Amino acid sequence: MPSLNDSRPGTTVRITGIDPGQAGGSRRRLLEFGFVPGAAVTVIARGATGGLLVGLGDTRVALDSRTAGRLRCGR
Amino acid sequence: MSCHGAEGAQEVTLDRRTGTPVVALVGNPNVGKSTLFNALTGAHQHVGNWPGKTVSVAQGEWRTPGGHRLRVADLPGSYSLLPDSPDEALVRDVLTARPGERPDAVVFALDAANPARNLYLLSQVLDTDIPVVVALTMTDVAARRGTAPAPGALARELALPVVAVEGRSGTGLDRLADAVAEVLEASASPSRSAWAAGSPVAAELAALAGPAREAAAQTAQPARWLAVSLLCGEEPPGVPAALAGRARAAADRLAAAAASGSASASQEVDTDAELLVAEARYAWAHAVIERAAPRPVQSRPTLTDRVDRLLLSRTFGIPFFLAVMWGVFQATTVLAKPLQDGLGDFVSGPVSGGAERLLEAVRAPGWLTGLLVDGLINGVGQLLTFVPLMIIMFLLLALLEDSGYFARAAFVADRLMRTLRLPGRAFLPLVVGFGCNVPALAGTRILNRRSHRLLVGLLIPYMSCTARLAVYVMIAGVFFGSNSGTVVFFLYVASVLLVVGMGLILRPLLFRDMKEEPLVLELPPYRLPTLRVTGAQVRQRLSAFLRTAGGIIVATAAAVWLLMAIPSGTGLGGFGKVDVEQSVFGTVTRAAAPVVAPAGFGDWHATAALGTGLIAKEGVISTLAQTYSAEEDGDPKLTASLHGTFEESSGGHGRAAALAFLVFILAYTPCMATLAAQRAEIGTRLTVIGFGIQLAAAWLLAVGVFQIARLVW
Repeated sequence: MPSLNDSRPGTTVRITGIDPGQAGGSRRRLLEFGFVPGAAVTVIARGATGGLLVGLGDTRVALDSRTAGRLRCGR
Repeated sequence: MSCHGAEGAQEVTLDRRTGTPVVALVGNPNVGKSTLFNALTGAHQHVGNWPGKTVSVAQGEWRTPGGHRLRVADLPGSYSLLPDSPDEALVRDVLTARPGERPDAVVFALDAANPARNLYLLSQVLDTDIPVVVALTMTDVAARRGTAPAPGALARELALPVVAVEGRSGTGLDRLADAVAEVLEASASPSRSAWAAGSPVAAELAALAGPAREAAAQTAQPARWLAVSLLCGEEPPGVPAALAGRARAAADRLAAAAASGSASASQEVDTDAELLVAEARYAWAHAVIERAAPRPVQSRPTLTDRVDRLLLSRTFGIPFFLAVMWGVFQATTVLAKPLQDGLGDFVSGPVSGGAERLLEAVRAPGWLTGLLVDGLINGVGQLLTFVPLMIIMFLLLALLEDSGYFARAAFVADRLMRTLRLPGRAFLPLVVGFGCNVPALAGTRILNRRSHRLLVGLLIPYMSCTARLAVYVMIAGVFFGSNSGTVVFFLYVASVLLVVGMGLILRPLLFRDMKEEPLVLELPPYRLPTLRVTGAQVRQRLSAFLRTAGGIIVATAAAVWLLMAIPSGTGLGGFGKVDVEQSVFGTVTRAAAPVVAPAGFGDWHATAALGTGLIAKEGVISTLAQTYSAEEDGDPKLTASLHGTFEESSGGHGRAAALAFLVFILAYTPCMATLAAQRAEIGTRLTVIGFGIQLAAAWLLAVGVFQIARLVW
């Protein structure tokens, strides 16, 4: 399943889930920011040193590339 | 070290002595919560518990037009009651404290331009059953986008009082006061927590309600909050094992049901109760917004997005970031310098002279004149020279934060700071440290986590400040001639390496639980900073600096004067009349000379200069000049004396000893003011530990440099 990292700037995708990946607080924080299954996420830009800037509704969230890679998505 | 553990145990005491009702201000970061707090409490506020001790919370008195007096606590901005930082843990601890210690009401600042994630937190706050009034902020921003929810419709959907407020202009504050008075008067508010309705979580929560209520009687936590947090895998202290077991079983059932419901789609992802709870809260939030807002929120490119595509791009991102940091550096060095020097000259010139004449006129004894003029006035003068620097630094911080660029800078620097497991925003105080360590230490307050503040606070003294530069230029000029530029450059490179090296050593030693953190950072829209908000922030931070570090800076200056004034034996001249060499200070620095002999500069002149350099690096050159009775730097006699001393103490390797001396200057404690600022930010214990490490590191490096360099020179 593709991750958010594979999405090009300008595209909008739907979150299908969060890769269990490493343990830790980031999964919870992602859920709390609204990266829940079904949420529409627009990739706005790639960061100068890596990472993604994404839009979730009217919120803009910066993610490092590893975290973005944990977000599974489809169309 | 268990910095975090200690914080979890701290208690927040809301002042209840007066019997005044306590209202907690709760909300996400960047929603205008503090602006609202300032508007409500005006001048009647104080900020307690500075970082370095505990989490800082501002409290104030709110005198409502209806004649009520309320105590308002401005709790730290947070995203969740399932805490991710000490700040958030504090919010949770306050809202889920024992019934008598909970706030009487919550004013929830809800960002109208960003409602979904705000409603998520609101749904958690409602689980605590504390009466809530919603203050709708940022309605102007939302209105421009055409997405502003109507307060009336929102109030209906939430079954809560909702008041649109504008902190900056004061609009809506009277109605907010009325609404708060109303919920305070209503004896028992019915539970408004409705997010679970219609979700699979609802049935399990209902089944847990009874036992949770029984447990709540013992744990004194709100019953519903207890049930939900157990379901999310939390383990609140004091929960009966039976209840915890039931909650685990319920969570397992929920996960199993969810997995079987969508077997094909979510094999790769783990569905558990926590995810279902988050999903249910967001489903509720979106349903509320859909019914209360004129048009659904959609991600469409805004002006901010277009700017970000440019400012975060691979082409412009790093150059722009470096340009901003260069600007900060320039402002805290070049711009601040003349102001600093001017103030310093004013105090050491007209003010000291005037005071001296005045004391002479009243025939004050010499020691009193010395104490007042050389001790106290000199100390206050030193403190004053920091003021313009601090104002510039805090102004830049406030402008960067208010404009919204600061979060972007943190995003760009994230990759770089990751080596030290620090967040990108830690870059800024470190850069400021090149200018002056004192404002840099105050700048660590922009870091959210205590452990990050502590680590950066320990690293900042290794950033080579401009006061040290003056020493480099002088010594390198004497010993390295036309190569002195290269030597100075080497020292700056060494400074950066020292910060990175120290970070890599200290983090695993002192902050074992500091994990590499994922970056999930909200980027607020770009905004024009307003004078009022910026000014208020600068004023608050400056007064905090003067309060916490000011007294110590003045006191140490007086104490050092005292050490230089007390003769180390009899017959050396009276108190205040002794030569530096024969004062207590002179005796101590003389005794220290053999300690640095392995570094090649085991000579009294050098150690006395290092001794005064401990107070302020500006003192190094003047002490050298003084002890050789030369005029100042540039004096051919001083140059010759220095050469002679270093050649002698190093056994003919003068240049190696000079380089080692410079490395020592770089690595050891920059000045007393830095120690005072450190103590204010990271506490006495770590300041003392840091001081020891600085001396040890300086000695080891200087010895290492000398022993290697003498093979060459």
